Amino acid sequence: VSEQRSVARISVVIPVKDGERYLEELLDALSREDVAETLVIDSGSCDRSREIAHSAGVELLEIEPGEFGHGRTRNLGAERTSGDLICFLTQDATPVTGWIEAYRAAFALDPRVGAAYGPHLPRPDTSPMIARELTEFFATFGAEGPNADRAGAPVLQHPGDSTFLSNVNACYARACWKEIRFREVGYSEDQAFGVDLLQAGWLKVYQPGAGVLHAHDYGPVEFMRRYFDEYRGLHETTGHVEGFGVLSAARQVSGAVAGDRRWAAGQGLGVGDQARWVARSAVHHGGRRVFSALGSRAHRLPTPLRGALSLEGRDGRELASDTSDGGQVTPDGPDPGAALSLSAPPATDLAPVPPATHVAPRLTQDFYEDVGRVWREGPAPLLDPVPGMADRERLRLALVVPSFRRGSGGHNTLFQILSRLERRGHLCSVWLQDVTGQHNSEWPAVIRSDIREFFAPVEGPVYKGYDQWQGADIAIATGWQTVHPTLMLDQCRARAYVVNDHEPEFYAASTEREMAEDTYRHDLHCIAASPWLRDLLIDRYDTSADAFQLGVDHDLYHPRPVTRRQDTIIYYARHVTPRRAVPVGLMALAELHRRRPDLRIVLFGDEGHLDSPFPYEHLGILTPPQLATLYSEATVGLCLSLTNFSLMPKEMLACGLPCVELAGVSAESIFGADGPLELAELTPRAIADALERLLDDRELWERRSREGIEFVASHTWEHATDEVEAGLRHALREREQAVPTQP
Amino acid sequence: MAITKRSSSNSEDLHAENERLRARVAALEAELVETQARTNEIVAQAQERVYWLDRWHLDLNALMRRPGAAELRGALRAIRAASRMLTRAKRRLRP
Repeated sequence: VSEQRSVARISVVIPVKDGERYLEELLDALSREDVAETLVIDSGSCDRSREIAHSAGVELLEIEPGEFGHGRTRNLGAERTSGDLICFLTQDATPVTGWIEAYRAAFALDPRVGAAYGPHLPRPDTSPMIARELTEFFATFGAEGPNADRAGAPVLQHPGDSTFLSNVNACYARACWKEIRFREVGYSEDQAFGVDLLQAGWLKVYQPGAGVLHAHDYGPVEFMRRYFDEYRGLHETTGHVEGFGVLSAARQVSGAVAGDRRWAAGQGLGVGDQARWVARSAVHHGGRRVFSALGSRAHRLPTPLRGALSLEGRDGRELASDTSDGGQVTPDGPDPGAALSLSAPPATDLAPVPPATHVAPRLTQDFYEDVGRVWREGPAPLLDPVPGMADRERLRLALVVPSFRRGSGGHNTLFQILSRLERRGHLCSVWLQDVTGQHNSEWPAVIRSDIREFFAPVEGPVYKGYDQWQGADIAIATGWQTVHPTLMLDQCRARAYVVNDHEPEFYAASTEREMAEDTYRHDLHCIAASPWLRDLLIDRYDTSADAFQLGVDHDLYHPRPVTRRQDTIIYYARHVTPRRAVPVGLMALAELHRRRPDLRIVLFGDEGHLDSPFPYEHLGILTPPQLATLYSEATVGLCLSLTNFSLMPKEMLACGLPCVELAGVSAESIFGADGPLELAELTPRAIADALERLLDDRELWERRSREGIEFVASHTWEHATDEVEAGLRHALREREQAVPTQP
Repeated sequence: MAITKRSSSNSEDLHAENERLRARVAALEAELVETQARTNEIVAQAQERVYWLDRWHLDLNALMRRPGAAELRGALRAIRAASRMLTRAKRRLRP
């Protein structure tokens, strides 16, 4: 096979549009190589390109501009030629002497070689930035390690090696091209081929001897827009997203500028020229960092902005038909083609299947990989129980928490309790399961500081991920997304689950709903944030469960020295949380407004304004001290909970503010049917009636206010911590009972 | 009767062995708790100290592994040594 390949017939295909600048030089260079046939495919040139091709005596195929596509046209070229090897060049890539023989040598290395590519060499007038970049970029593919002494020798690339491939200068075995073919993608069909080729078991070769002169400069702005296009294409093809950080960008730019200066000095440029290139280099590399990052995020930009930033004016709506250059990571000109309109649909009733977009793998692991692992392999085994472990004074507790934001009520509950468990001598650590990825760029010390600032002053360490997992007496899951990762943690004596709400109810019929329900089926001892929730878990999932009562920070929430108004309803209208039943609440307030047009209505808890048929005052999201003041001056509070009750009614009551909540859900389990809360059915009229009762009946208002303060007085975080600690010890005790120990 | 005595003696031995092992487990557990307490404290203190490094994504170990870092550090040490020498010399020369 190697011998056959060393004498293989070679066809060269060159897509061209307005390429007169270098085409003559290119074809002249080819005439000195042992090429069996050369095919120029012109897609509507307006310059002398066709004439040059005719004069050179090569085959010319003319296609409509609308027919051009990077993958499509190259596939056409391969079909229209017959060589055993098919080389592709762009119209501005001039082969160096020995180009063809170098490719033949590359394919003779191994019968599994499906493609080879050579370096892009700078032309004499190329700027130092581009010249250095090209040289150093292609040097990375050269022989290294024990083969470093073979610099200049072809390098075989196997699966797992770089997938880089560039149709500026590449050669393909016909058998390989037939098997894989170029994808009809808007950009980077060569990169896609590189990925597909290695995945299919073929090899490729970097052949330093098969170089082409290929580099030309743009102005700084054109370069930036060019990078935008390139990285956009790279993202579309491989899913690559270019990272960007101010400090890292500054470091990279300064390093690149220093490299360019050294390069310019090495080329013998004078001090003045060097200074000029250093300035240009800073603009070039700075612009590149910004525009490459933007390009790989182009899908998130508004369409007009995308079009404006693209050198080729691509706004993303012409993916299948655009004719921009095959994307290369190295600088490259927009060779054949310009923006074109969509091809006319075929005159038939048959609806053609549109060109598919290849989606490359982007996740290092599946989003729900942990769930899949638990389903596949089961939880990690627990350690054998040690007699008396449930009664030990100091427990090793590992709290696994989901991503958080400032103001998260569930996290506040967890950390209020955790900080108190620490003060009782337990050894607590926090393990962040960054479900939403919002802490991607945060390192553990920053996350720990945020927890302390947003919620409570935890003293223990905070870890992100489980690389440093050390085991625990109890691993504690705290939200449905943390349960499956917690089940995979080993070296634990027991596992527990602090359940703040019945989370399956947060979702419509969905994967998430099923997975959330699954969390209650792994024998984790649940510690639920209300008796209602505890009973629900026991009844519906037959799980073992305890309950705790949410605490109130009485230092903050107590009647403040402000005048209590007699005309103000405040409503926790957090519309982004569907379980708050905001549409019903608004209807109730509309009803109340019809009855009492002078009533002052205040909405809070959400950033955005809500449309309503009544006027209201909007306060947005308030800090806890601001809330305490608001609760102390309002007349009646309204907070609706379709699942487990919110802490908010308790905090309102602590400030002496009577509050209306929904009847028949969870509130009765805390406050009783005729406790300090005024309960109402989930209808606008019933809620309006309840609000009006408190506005009209002064005696009722006084009683609710007094009883509320008395009721929540015992609802402290210390008490909540007592209950949670008892639940944790219960979890350990269950383990002891589950595994009988020898007397 | 002799058999009963032997059984009783075996049972006592077993009981004593159990007690010894339980005491050993308790001691090891206590040791584990102490180790964990120290680990938590050390990691938490380290996280307090490196807050700004983490905030700015600065990994000094990785930074010092980069080419030129050791040379830069050497140069800074040389400057510091020279500066100290000058300071000492100035002190000596003071009347």
